Amino acid sequence: MKSFDLLTLANRNLWRRKGRTFLTVLGVIIGTTAIVVMLSLGIGLVESQKKQMEQWGSLNMIRVQQSYSFPGEPSDNPQRLLNDEAIEEIRAIEGVLALSPAYEVGGEAKLGRKMGYFSLIGIDPAMMDLLEFEVSHGRLLTGDDKFNVVAGSWVINNFMDPKEQPGRWDEPPPQGDPLELLNKRVSLTLMNQRQQKRVYSLNVVGILSDTSMEHAHSVFGPLPEIKKMRDFIQQGMQNDPMIPPGKAMEMSGSTADRVVEVPTQPGRSSGREKDQYSFALVRTEDVAFTRAISTDLRERGFNAYSMADNLAGIENAARQMQAVLGGIGAITLLVAAIGITNTMVMSIYERTREIAIMKVVGASFGDIRTLFLAESSLIGLMGGSIGIGLSYLLSYILNKYLGAAMAPGMGQDGVALQISMIPAWLVLFAVAFSIGIGLISGIYPANRAIKLDPITAMRNG
Amino acid sequence: MVFNEVMSLPILELRHVVKKYRVGKEVVTALDDVDLSVQAGEFVAILGTSGSGKTTLLNVAAGLEKPTRGDVIFRGTVLNKLKERQKVVFRRKQMGFIFQSYNLLPTMTAQENVALPLIFDGVPVRERLKRAVAVLTIMGLKERRMHKPMEMSGGQQQRVSIARALVHNPRIIFADELTGNLDSHTTNDIMRNLKETICGQGQTLIMVTHDHDVAKFADRIIFMVDGKIVSEERGGHKNE
Repeated sequence: MKSFDLLTLANRNLWRRKGRTFLTVLGVIIGTTAIVVMLSLGIGLVESQKKQMEQWGSLNMIRVQQSYSFPGEPSDNPQRLLNDEAIEEIRAIEGVLALSPAYEVGGEAKLGRKMGYFSLIGIDPAMMDLLEFEVSHGRLLTGDDKFNVVAGSWVINNFMDPKEQPGRWDEPPPQGDPLELLNKRVSLTLMNQRQQKRVYSLNVVGILSDTSMEHAHSVFGPLPEIKKMRDFIQQGMQNDPMIPPGKAMEMSGSTADRVVEVPTQPGRSSGREKDQYSFALVRTEDVAFTRAISTDLRERGFNAYSMADNLAGIENAARQMQAVLGGIGAITLLVAAIGITNTMVMSIYERTREIAIMKVVGASFGDIRTLFLAESSLIGLMGGSIGIGLSYLLSYILNKYLGAAMAPGMGQDGVALQISMIPAWLVLFAVAFSIGIGLISGIYPANRAIKLDPITAMRNG
Repeated sequence: MVFNEVMSLPILELRHVVKKYRVGKEVVTALDDVDLSVQAGEFVAILGTSGSGKTTLLNVAAGLEKPTRGDVIFRGTVLNKLKERQKVVFRRKQMGFIFQSYNLLPTMTAQENVALPLIFDGVPVRERLKRAVAVLTIMGLKERRMHKPMEMSGGQQQRVSIARALVHNPRIIFADELTGNLDSHTTNDIMRNLKETICGQGQTLIMVTHDHDVAKFADRIIFMVDGKIVSEERGGHKNE
């Protein structure tokens, strides 16, 4: 029997009993819709959480720090120093696209009349682009920059005019315009353990765009200059190699004209050893690498942190939720499957004579079986296809009304939060699944039809 | 028996065929040691009252039922030893069936019903319909080919059913009380038509009936009583 003839015949048989076929198909429609919409909610949940996390920091970035263990506390992992040797080791790990060590210093800053605070991070200017730094205004750093810096979009909010009346406590502080910093001179005051003070004059050449909140609160400068600042701050610390103040001045070399040394209160710095970095930023190829590499780094004795680490927890929770939602959908589809079986069994009772005739005129077991399986699969296909259409409609309605109501303002760039997402694989899965359900439901009736004895069937018919 | 030896190998042969049914606790013997040999091109009528076992004989001969004992040999093949899927091939290629109650599919038109056996043989639709119309034309139903069974008279339905049995050009045709539901005028018309057609093609016909007048169309009449062949008549000469 040719497959075209088979499908034509199966299709015709189904439409002989329009009402019954429709009701059976309806069962599959509801089942498919239930399963697709339920799963789409789970997927939407994960995706929207991913998006939200990306706002806080790229999923391709790892921040590596030296791991600290407290004295007397036993540590499982070897404690590693974050020095040049370590940086080269990390650079060699597969999946690492870019890497920059970083120094971090902090101190009081002055912008015109406004007073504020700078968290200044020194990184490799050549790596900025690869490390996903983006400016909304101005430019990124280049290798020639010395006292030029790039500021995060929120840094301006650290500055206040001391003469201005502070806002009421229950009012959110007014958001500053990041452009207020652009191409301005900011003087940064650093202090070391010996109560010496240095004032640096920095020029803001770029403002980072606010797509990533990770860097929004920091100011970035070229690594060599910030290293010098850190060295200054470390003077007088316990493990300081005792550089006399005069020598420190010499070290500043040509930059001395921009540096004024004043003794006062201590400042702060992180990274305790002289040749040790505060932290390092690692850019990986993708999320999968991020996870693997951050686990690897922890095993090597570093302290690694990435947004992707949180993703695993969220995905686990979402997977559980998807299982529950999908389970509800699956039950509905199971009921639909029983419906198909019932319809096909009924249809055999009605068509005993017809099956007998087909057998007598030469239909093989295979023909009869395929015919019944084709009919039940067609029910599955019709139900599945219409179910997908209905799912898209429901998904649209959910996103438009429920999504907007549930999370006002949570969406990015004014786009409402997608609480339901139907990816292409889900469509294919649903159609294949409903056809499969139809096929499986048809097996029992098809075997019954085969066993039918044509002589008895025709005599009784 | 002398006659058989002169002719070539029989197309169908029943050897010591016994068929028993279990009805409740009782065992009914429908066929009791039946021997029958049918030559190619022969038109055989099996005549008997109801319960004589004539329909069972037909079903067993066609391979639709298995004999309890004995063999059915169709063109050298022992039919009752074959698996169902092999028998299907025999039916599809070499056998045609005509029933008392026509057994047409109510949802299909006359030409679709006639073309049905060809579907299972994988014949393309165009070729199928061409052949169906050709046979329907022979049966005098060309004009009614687009009608469904319910829109036709009993005689017309039986003609469609005959056309369906002939469409794949079988070697042998089994007919069970094919005129049972028809009036005598229609019966004569159909019988004449059928006989002409199969004689022209050299096909074999085995027909079960309880009507002596219908049986007279056959070359050979076999009389059955209580599951046994009691006598035989050939060309008007009766042999006990």
